[in-house]
Amino acid sequence: MEGLFFNVNNGYLEGVVRGYKSGLLRSPQYVNLTQCETLDDLKLQLSSTDYGNFLASYSGPLSTSVIQQNLSKKLYQQFQYLKAHSSGTLTKFLDYISYGYMIDNVSLMITGTLHERDRNEILAKCHPLGMFDTLPTLSIATDIESLYNTVLIDTPLAAFFKNCLTPDDLDDLNIEIIRNKLYKNYLEAFIQFVSEEFGGPDREIMLRLLNFEADKRVINITLNTLGNPDFSSEDKLSLFPSYGKLYPTYHHELSQIEEIEQLRAIVGTVEEYSEIFSENGDSGKNLEDWFYLLEMKYCKNAFTQQFTLSTVWAWLRSKEQEIRNVTWIAECIAQNQKNRIESYICV
Amino acid sequence: MAKRSLLAAIADEDSITGLLLAGVGQVSNEPGKETNFLTVVPGKTTVEQIEEAFEKFTSERDDIAILLINQHLADLIRYKVDNYTKAFPAILEIPSKDHPYDPEKDSILKKVRRLFGE
Amino acid sequence: MSGAGNREQVFPTRMTLGVMKGKLKGAQQGHSLLKRKSEALTKRFRDITQRIDESKRKMGRVMQTAAFSLAEVQYATGDNIGYQVQELVQKARFQVKAKQENVSGVYLPTFDSHVNEEINDFKLTGLGRGGQQVQKAKTVYTKAVETLVELASLQTAFIILDEVIKVTNRRVNAIEHVIIPRTENTIGYINSELDELDREEFYRLKKVQEKKQEAAAEADAEELQKKLAQAQQELQDGDAAAAKVLDAQAETVEETVEEPAQKEPKSALDQDDESGDVLQENEDDVIF
Repeated sequence: MEGLFFNVNNGYLEGVVRGYKSGLLRSPQYVNLTQCETLDDLKLQLSSTDYGNFLASYSGPLSTSVIQQNLSKKLYQQFQYLKAHSSGTLTKFLDYISYGYMIDNVSLMITGTLHERDRNEILAKCHPLGMFDTLPTLSIATDIESLYNTVLIDTPLAAFFKNCLTPDDLDDLNIEIIRNKLYKNYLEAFIQFVSEEFGGPDREIMLRLLNFEADKRVINITLNTLGNPDFSSEDKLSLFPSYGKLYPTYHHELSQIEEIEQLRAIVGTVEEYSEIFSENGDSGKNLEDWFYLLEMKYCKNAFTQQFTLSTVWAWLRSKEQEIRNVTWIAECIAQNQKNRIESYICV
Repeated sequence: MAKRSLLAAIADEDSITGLLLAGVGQVSNEPGKETNFLTVVPGKTTVEQIEEAFEKFTSERDDIAILLINQHLADLIRYKVDNYTKAFPAILEIPSKDHPYDPEKDSILKKVRRLFGE
Repeated sequence: MSGAGNREQVFPTRMTLGVMKGKLKGAQQGHSLLKRKSEALTKRFRDITQRIDESKRKMGRVMQTAAFSLAEVQYATGDNIGYQVQELVQKARFQVKAKQENVSGVYLPTFDSHVNEEINDFKLTGLGRGGQQVQKAKTVYTKAVETLVELASLQTAFIILDEVIKVTNRRVNAIEHVIIPRTENTIGYINSELDELDREEFYRLKKVQEKKQEAAAEADAEELQKKLAQAQQELQDGDAAAAKVLDAQAETVEETVEEPAQKEPKSALDQDDESGDVLQENEDDVIF
């Protein structure tokens, strides 16, 4: 039924996204890229893909960061295009997607403000997908109270800040915690939004992806805080998004483990993640690689459904992965580390 | 000399990030000793700024034992690096990500070669 | 002698000679010691140079690995953590301690890396994602910086040794080419002056002797003359007196004439003996 009216609002954009999706690099193209000897070769190879002559206007010596910047620019353009043509639920959905980047930008801004950096310098480093009008004004705030009251109240992020207002003064440690708390709130809100607004296979897919995102964060946070005495289990729990396959059964346990083995045992009980730690270690694949691999699998599945908005999310994630891949390959070429070049994850 | 316990760095962003991860960074409020590293952004940081930082790290500050400088940046102020003869702080030219190490340019290795008549 | 003019301004006396000889001995000893020091330092120096060359090359590889681990971080986190890291820096976790090592009396500083595990500014970097890679990159970079510190100590040792060897070699050369020849020249000069004095003295003595002999011979001749004249006088006086006394008288005259004739060769012999002794003495002096 939902497919009937889907095209009225979102048909065009879905088509565009699918077009974008088919522009993603495929494994033969990756093979070609890995064969390159220099970055110039790489540029040549990329010019025959969807990226076209993205580097045509750039003169001077190529570096991986330049390549990455230009690849990302393409992604931003496509995203902006989608956003400009979207309506209704899709606009909201795209907004939610960009909130994630906004969180990064806000925490970057706060960090910079604390160290009294030049505002323009920081703005240049902000993620373009997470830009919003009032971002520059963040630099006037010095403590989190005034930050919230004067600035953030007007931003779309205000809702996420509600639960993480602490009287503590801002310091570097807190910012990282705030960022993760924000992210937790954001994920929870996102999931709520999806379950309210979306229906059918769309909701199913998006929830799966977002739950995965939540689990990913939980596992990561657990792993990264291992052996960190400053972090109590309550602190950890407060950072875990209350969704995902690990919720609520394992969260408490996860917050208290002290050994990586325990983490392995707990995570292994969830079927999808049972492989994550099994090959971890000697095969050169690490946790992050596994997550990316799994995410790509989900994204691939997402494309199999028609009349869904989740394709946008899947496309964005795939594209990001692709940029990471190309950057990785470029890095390997630039640094002569050909033996590791194969560890990209084909979308 | 006992006071010299820090490392200083003049390098591009990636090298600085790595070095800071290793924990060489020191930020303090003492005037003249705010930071012990200079991030060089191509196109933004001028040669004068690099020179200034070099002077500061080598001559003015007395708590720096080793100065790490990217080779391609040392090339920009080569005359200064080549004329530097003091033992403290020691100057070490390091490669950066985008500029592989070239032993031919290193001022210390140049001295070595000169000494052995190669 | 090459630098005959190059000598110290001294009075050529036996005492100065003694002092100079002591000086020469000291210089020679110092020379051999310094030479040995310089050789030991040079050996060390070459060793260090070799190691610098090696570790500089090694550094290239180590830094590449390190840079690569940073690329991994970037891959994992998806964005550049550079800025975040720069802002988070508070206190140096990685410090060096200077230590001194004694090589042939030269103090070479060596740096010891010292990691303060309590300070960790990046505990939470990459908390949400990529934390593993960040920690890994941290370890890799810490190792890389340790290599760099090692290299830095080598390099400092290189610079200091270079300087010290130059100074030592300058001293060795100064002693070898300036001080020793000059002292030798001075000693030669003093000796030649002393010899000259001896020869003068000898000549003087000889001359004195000669003069003395001349004077003695003159005196004898005069006396003889006087006696002869006296005898003649008496002869003339006693012309008419006693003819019988004449015989006896003539006998005594004959005797007195004979006497000095015998005496002369004898005294000449004595003198010869004496001058021989003087020579002997002189020779002794020269040998000393």
